[in-house]
Amino acid sequence: MTTLYLSDDTSSRAAGADRLAAAWHARPDVQLVRTSSRGAFFLEPMVERDLPQGRMAWCHVEPQDLDRILAGDGGTPISAIPFLAQQQRATFANFGVTQPLSLDEYRQQGGWTALERAREMAATAVIDELRTSGLRGRGGAAFPVWQKWETARAVASPVKYVVANADEGDAGTYCDRMILEGEPYRLIEGMLICARAIGATAGAVYCRYEYPAAARRLAEALARAEAAGLLTVGGASFPIDIVRGAGSYVCGEETALLASMEGRRGEVQAKPPYPAVSGLHGAPTVVSNVLTFAMVTTILARGGAWHASLGTDFSRGTVVLQLGGRVKQPGLVEIPFGATLRDALERFGGGMAEGSTFKAVQVGGPLGSLFPEPELDIPICYGAFANRGAILGHGGVVVYDQEADMVELARHFMAFTADESCGKCTPCRIGAVRGHEILTRIQRGDGLLKDLTLLRELGETMQAASLCALGGRAPYPVLTAMEHFPEEFTGRLRPSEAAVGAVKRKP
Amino acid sequence: MSESDAAQSRRAAVREIIARVIGAASAPTATPGAVAPRDGALTCALAIQEVLGYVPQESIREIAAALSVPEAQVSGSLAFYPDIHRKPTGRHHVRVCRGESCMANRAEPVVRALERALAVPLGDTTADGRFTLNGVYCVGNCAVSPTVMVDDCVHGRVTPDSVAALLDQYR
Repeated sequence: MTTLYLSDDTSSRAAGADRLAAAWHARPDVQLVRTSSRGAFFLEPMVERDLPQGRMAWCHVEPQDLDRILAGDGGTPISAIPFLAQQQRATFANFGVTQPLSLDEYRQQGGWTALERAREMAATAVIDELRTSGLRGRGGAAFPVWQKWETARAVASPVKYVVANADEGDAGTYCDRMILEGEPYRLIEGMLICARAIGATAGAVYCRYEYPAAARRLAEALARAEAAGLLTVGGASFPIDIVRGAGSYVCGEETALLASMEGRRGEVQAKPPYPAVSGLHGAPTVVSNVLTFAMVTTILARGGAWHASLGTDFSRGTVVLQLGGRVKQPGLVEIPFGATLRDALERFGGGMAEGSTFKAVQVGGPLGSLFPEPELDIPICYGAFANRGAILGHGGVVVYDQEADMVELARHFMAFTADESCGKCTPCRIGAVRGHEILTRIQRGDGLLKDLTLLRELGETMQAASLCALGGRAPYPVLTAMEHFPEEFTGRLRPSEAAVGAVKRKP
Repeated sequence: MSESDAAQSRRAAVREIIARVIGAASAPTATPGAVAPRDGALTCALAIQEVLGYVPQESIREIAAALSVPEAQVSGSLAFYPDIHRKPTGRHHVRVCRGESCMANRAEPVVRALERALAVPLGDTTADGRFTLNGVYCVGNCAVSPTVMVDDCVHGRVTPDSVAALLDQYR
């Protein structure tokens, strides 16, 4: 009997993992263990087995490759895959190693030690540990985590909530999905640590509708943790519920998320009051992203000082990049902050996919700025990105090649915002529709030169006056596309206008 | 005019689902101070949709009555969410991803191929009621894109040429 390891992650299955499982199911000489994914999705479906020389991997496996794998013919040592070997995994260290729902394996890998430590500390000491760590929220806003917790802790209230934001709506991101599917106990542990620190009475995970497998896995993990008596805080039971979203992007914004949890329209509310003071049903509520809670677990296990020793000045710890688009090696990358974008794309992305030449890269989801080739030497950290008016967001990195039409892309982003705007504030609700109209006009060749000016002014208004980051950030991909690829826009204007545009652009 | 049998049994099903959702939230075992989001209109609607495939019009009145809130509030809430279907959908829900990674990886030709294979545009249901075709904005399968999701199953690296075989699995 040979034990083979095969990932049970949605993307691994989408690449064909289940096809292998079905084909090998009846083989008496094979024991198939379904694990979390290493995140090297370009190699999936990937099958692993232990040999005397260590863990070996077979990549792009087809059902008929089984005999070759059983014979030990041809595999690559995991340690010799540069994409994985060059990473500095902390929060994703166990990915590809453990079975997602095994409480025993989670404990063997050091699970629950962070919570046990937090339980022995004073609430303020737990928050101090996070302050030392320098952890900032990983959902996109990058707010200091300790500060949010301290605010919620300091409010006297018989009811307080911990809410994990699993709305991961930014296209190009999937690290929260991987945590929910691959190591849900790490999220649960982080939520329990937060509950311990702020004195919360209940928790919930707001999980997007597009992640059915993640929601099922999490529900099973919660049931097992509950059965094992793990869902307690200060001796009292601490129920954690799952609430499903229904396809709205703006529900990733914390006030909209809370409104949606209460069953209402997912409309953004002006802050203050902050949810940490008055959140779900008016009670103090810490809302943090899934990855943030997972990192809290890592930090309490390894110490705030360890976390602070990684990264750069105001960007401590590791950044989790999710490579997608036209790179050769799309997948999950966890490295300390500070590497350049170019380095990440070359060392991990492996350059461009076959037949593609680099045109631009978008970092931070649909609200993130576009970077052309000359700007790739920017270090990946909050400060450097903020200085350029860019964001790291949730770590999504999408690479576009020569086939990307910048006018179409800009139109797509405005259409997206118009579609997803909650409608609460005017700049976003109306601005996105007008922006979309202007770009549609340019796209069909009816644009005037003044339309480009109008688009810039509209963008400035949305940036300055929108209630949340959806309207406030929506102009950035559009304006950076216009800034770096102006000829694609002026070239589409009415013929007479295009000539004027060309003259005007001369120095 | 009396309700048809179908409408009557549908209404009964809706009532039963709402009662189950609200019952679970107010069960005597529920911890005081526990999150009780399951009493919301959205949770009720999602539960109805899970059973019936869509949220029929009469659900609005039933949810509103059960929660003691105005019908307009329930209607307004549900209208906000793109994944709440107010019309019957096909037996299989085909969602093609139009997120940035999929677009960069040539998803638009896949969209066209699906529209051709099913002979309906995005947003429509095939005449035989078997498939509803919709766009979706990212299902987190960006590293194995382009992506087509059928019901709960995610398919990766889809090409225009592989669309027919993919749909055949559901015929």
